[in-house]
Amino acid sequence: MITIEVDGQSLEARPGQMLIEITDAAGITVPRFCYHKHLSVAANCRMCLVEVEKAPKPLPACATPVMDGMKVFTRSPLARAAQKGTMEFLLINHPLDCPICDQGGECELQDVAMGYGGDVSQFSERKRVVRDEDIGPLIATDMTRCIHCTRCVRFGGEVAGLRELGATGRGEHMRIGVFIEHSIGSELSGNVIDLCPVGALTSKPFRFSARAWELTQHDGVALHDGVGSNVHLHVRRNKLMRVAPRENEALNQTWLSDRDRFSYKGLESNDRLTRPMLRENGKLRAAGWDEALQGAAAILKDTQSGHLGALVSPNATLEEMYLTGKLVRALGSDNIDHRLRQCDFRDDAADPQLPWLGQRFEDIEDNDATLLVGSWLRKDQPLLNHRVRQSVLNGGAVLAINPVAYDFNYELDVDIVCRPSEMVQELAGIASALGASTAGVEVSEDEAHRTAAELLKQAQRGGIILGTAAMMHPDFALLRRLAANIAQAAGISWGTVGFGANDTGAWLAGAVPHRRAGGSAAQGANARSMKNGSCDTLMLLGCEPEGDLADPLNGAQALGGARVIAMSAFMSPLLEELADVLLPMGLFGETSGTVVNLQGDVQHFAGAVSPPGEARPAWKILRVLGNLVDAEGFEQNSSAEVRDELLALCGEIQPDNTLGSAEAVQQAYQPEGLQRVGGVPMYSVDALTRRSAPLQATPDAWDGHLRMNAETAAGLSVEDGSTVCLSQGDGRVELPVRIDDCVADQCVWLPAGVAESVPLGCSFAEVSVEKV
Amino acid sequence: MNKIVSYVRSLFLFELLKGLGLTGRYMFTRPFTLEYPEEKAPVSPRFRGLHAQRRYPNGEERCIACKLCEAVCPALAITIEAAPREDGERRTTRYDIDLFKCIFCGFCEESCPVDAIVETRVYEYHFEERGEQIMTKDKLLAMGEKYEEQLAADRAAQAAVR
Amino acid sequence: MDSVIELWNALPLVVQILLKIVVIMVPLMLMVAYYTYFERKIIGHMQVRMGPNRVGFFGFRMLGLGQPIADAVKLMFKEIVIPSGANKLLFVIAPMLSIGPALAAWAVFPFNAELALTNINAGLLYILALTSLGVYGVIIAGWASNSKYALLGAMRSAAQIVAYEIAMGFALVGVLVAAGSLNLQEIVLAQQGSPLHWFWLPLLPLFVIYFISGVAETNRAPFDVAEGESEIVAGFHVEYSGMTFAVFFLAEYANMILISALSALMFLGGWLSPFQGAGIESWFSWVPGFFWLLLKTFVFMFLFLWFRATFPRYRYDQIMRLGWKVFIPITIVWIVVVGLMKVNHVPWWFN
Repeated sequence: MITIEVDGQSLEARPGQMLIEITDAAGITVPRFCYHKHLSVAANCRMCLVEVEKAPKPLPACATPVMDGMKVFTRSPLARAAQKGTMEFLLINHPLDCPICDQGGECELQDVAMGYGGDVSQFSERKRVVRDEDIGPLIATDMTRCIHCTRCVRFGGEVAGLRELGATGRGEHMRIGVFIEHSIGSELSGNVIDLCPVGALTSKPFRFSARAWELTQHDGVALHDGVGSNVHLHVRRNKLMRVAPRENEALNQTWLSDRDRFSYKGLESNDRLTRPMLRENGKLRAAGWDEALQGAAAILKDTQSGHLGALVSPNATLEEMYLTGKLVRALGSDNIDHRLRQCDFRDDAADPQLPWLGQRFEDIEDNDATLLVGSWLRKDQPLLNHRVRQSVLNGGAVLAINPVAYDFNYELDVDIVCRPSEMVQELAGIASALGASTAGVEVSEDEAHRTAAELLKQAQRGGIILGTAAMMHPDFALLRRLAANIAQAAGISWGTVGFGANDTGAWLAGAVPHRRAGGSAAQGANARSMKNGSCDTLMLLGCEPEGDLADPLNGAQALGGARVIAMSAFMSPLLEELADVLLPMGLFGETSGTVVNLQGDVQHFAGAVSPPGEARPAWKILRVLGNLVDAEGFEQNSSAEVRDELLALCGEIQPDNTLGSAEAVQQAYQPEGLQRVGGVPMYSVDALTRRSAPLQATPDAWDGHLRMNAETAAGLSVEDGSTVCLSQGDGRVELPVRIDDCVADQCVWLPAGVAESVPLGCSFAEVSVEKV
Repeated sequence: MNKIVSYVRSLFLFELLKGLGLTGRYMFTRPFTLEYPEEKAPVSPRFRGLHAQRRYPNGEERCIACKLCEAVCPALAITIEAAPREDGERRTTRYDIDLFKCIFCGFCEESCPVDAIVETRVYEYHFEERGEQIMTKDKLLAMGEKYEEQLAADRAAQAAVR
Repeated sequence: MDSVIELWNALPLVVQILLKIVVIMVPLMLMVAYYTYFERKIIGHMQVRMGPNRVGFFGFRMLGLGQPIADAVKLMFKEIVIPSGANKLLFVIAPMLSIGPALAAWAVFPFNAELALTNINAGLLYILALTSLGVYGVIIAGWASNSKYALLGAMRSAAQIVAYEIAMGFALVGVLVAAGSLNLQEIVLAQQGSPLHWFWLPLLPLFVIYFISGVAETNRAPFDVAEGESEIVAGFHVEYSGMTFAVFFLAEYANMILISALSALMFLGGWLSPFQGAGIESWFSWVPGFFWLLLKTFVFMFLFLWFRATFPRYRYDQIMRLGWKVFIPITIVWIVVVGLMKVNHVPWWFN
């Protein structure tokens, strides 16, 4: 450690640290625009100039390494003159359009100009004007306001991994832009809104709608992926106006994925449920809460014990899951499941105590090898992918076994693209190359397997991540077993990413048929058997039968054959057709609760706005339902009480991925013909994202095409754009074709969770395609 | 001596009589009363009466939804909602002034960077039903159109001191 | 003419008396009404305003002369709100108790040498008794209203009236000594001679004190702490509305007129002509004595208004000090002086 003196205050520093890091840590304000602690140092704004003793000129604090005994003055006449001069230069070309600028009121340039700028500019010439480019539905540009700090450019290269924004020209002619006008494709693109110190890059969905000073800020947790990103909810007049990241180094650092940032727009969707509804003479009608709850309670009481089931969204809060489980169990059933998209439940007996990612997020950055199985991590879990990308930048390797050559923002060291049914063999190949058990799968090792095995074996630290495509796979049990075997043999961790924000929490809350809250064993019907019609009455919590079930076809049939009590924030066609009681619930930002992310962090959050109309937080609905069916233990007065009750039950359960012993399962999925590749598109993961208009307008939203590679298309004699009829079991849909050579041979890519696949079953299945 | 004088003065109610003399004198002066509504007081160009929103000579509304007036309003009488207009311009979708809350301080007018929200010389108005006290954007623009000539002249007269 | 007198005499005594009362009451009430009008007008002009000038008759403005009528009609049609915690009986009785004495005092009032409703020897005593009764209306109103403000107003009023009643009584004792009679007509006749014979001169301090005490008795400015808008809203009548309020209002103004008339009677020679003893007396012999009385009364009524327009309200402790420590000693001393003058037949009043 060395000692430096800043403004007479002596501070400790590590050699090589930049001056601005020391002053920031000590709370000494140094103005800056281009410096950002998670980006490289550019030192091009010159705003952080400070006086250093014995230096002939003021030095930029962000690019000056500290030296022992250095004496720094941040407020000396020289430093102030330098700052003032810089400010005047920066304002030369900055338009005075603060009144129409969305950044007005939260603008770094405004603040710094107030603090460090002069009153009068000597510049009387014409200001520069820059043409705006349309860079997509999420980010609005006003490039005239740009001060060339290049934070956005550096973010693209260093964090997002896509060099989409760049600077062209020099001096006054410098422009920031996309070289060829197109939408920004990064799933983290929204962060440039926060990074931009001026109003050049602002949020398009939020455009012109509110001012910073009108908003009240509430802490929240994003509810779309397993990271549990911390967010600020900005609220005006009881309306959620925007979402911004809340810094948490362990989870999301200072970033936020676009999905978490812009999903709030779905709250304004027209099909929000605002009143309880009851089915009467075959038609739904609006009802009061009393009536609707009595109706629901009557159905529940009328259901035979053992024949009540609950399908719970993996995005539901811990409290909602726990109370649902409690209600179902109080009525004599154990049928509750949150694994709505999973198809393979053969290995349930071996389920670990509390499945998780297997690694802390921060540790992923130090991975020497990461194996992705059936995972488009970049789109499914953008901020986890950011960690994996950091591991690549740190010299780690990434290996992938995928049914599609997914686009990653880093080089894959081993990239195995195979038909879904072959994923088991490929994974078994790596296991065999490592000398691990192949769980009874016949293998033929090849070079790729051996390379992969070598990389995994040499890794000091590593992880296997089973993605959504693996979890939706009909042989998930086998994939999981193989992953565990490989992990054991290579001495690395393995884990699953889940489908929602609270997958890990669901195991704590007992939202699985074979595990009660706290971990005691039970015997209930899983999601698959519920969808196959094992229950007379089904409760839905926050899930839509169209988009959230692994096979919507069966799901719709099961719902049709049962009485349905749906707690939902949105109306959907199937709910309208099949639900007997619809209870409107609050969603993201409207309800208090707790979620447990993939690394086992328990995070509580409070509601920031009240749910629309008569909608209520689901835990309140469940509590009253519990009272109405005379169940015990439904006396909680706040979600915190529910949470405390549950956490007391859970005691010391720690995340643990150790598989239990169970009967060996055979490879079940070995189709002959064309295979469908499923998965869930990034912006179709839950009801809220599916309704967020700006997200649906991005290139990442599913475009309604059936994708296949050129060879497959040639075999079917179809062309790009021609319409085909795809049949899967009893379901059939007509779709246009898009040729996409990323898709494995003899496969067609049609994901679940999108409108086009609603009439179909499981998303990994044998299909046939005919030209229409 | 002074004490005696002041004692005598108070005994004979000298000060009180002086007061009576004053009021008595004023009884015979001309009343200042303006017989409103037949007579009206002259109104200054700075008068802060009923609000209006102005347009540019080409018909474009001036207000750009910067919300400074909303922020400065000490009575929280102004409510603004904004959104991009079809052509992408920043404009209000709602601009309400609650005249029950408004204290006619004129801060909104002072804070406006584009002279959009102004106060006219109109001080004779009334409401007959609930809700009429809300000056909506339409009403404000209509006021602006009606009094534009006067408004422009007043602003021009005050230009030097504003 | 004879037949009219005959008809009159034929009427039963009760009817006669009632008719006499009506003859006194109606002009009195009209006077009250227009007293309020002139009050507003005069105070208005003293404050360089106009006062009421809109309401007239038949579509003409007529300087706002219709205002008191409009006010009266308005008050008559307004709802009488009785507070929920109020004692209803006392609440309704209080205004009647207030106006009763104010009107009853006129029973012994001589309008000229012959004309009075009744001519009793103890007239002065009767008037003293009745004027002190009015305060009960105020106190009961304050109590019955079940309101802090009303109660405070009533308490102030009670204490104030007790204080000034004494000074007022002593002032009248001075008159009594000077005139040697309690009969009001005789008191006037004792002032025969000229304006210099009137009692205002020998009884000057008592005259001043009597009138000021009268102002205090009627709770008028600057002694209106019982109402005290700025401190206790409207004092004892804060809860009164409509006709009940109007009755308090009537009582206050009737009292003011009464005090003015009594001052004229006892200190300014009542109906006696101001030109008595001067050479030009015979020029005015055609003027009825009642006119002189009215003129003198108007002078005092105007003073009430003038005071209100001029003086700010007294502080409460100052009112008490003035009543107890200034007025009462002065009156006692002056009674002795008057007695000595009377005993020594000081010319030219007492010779």
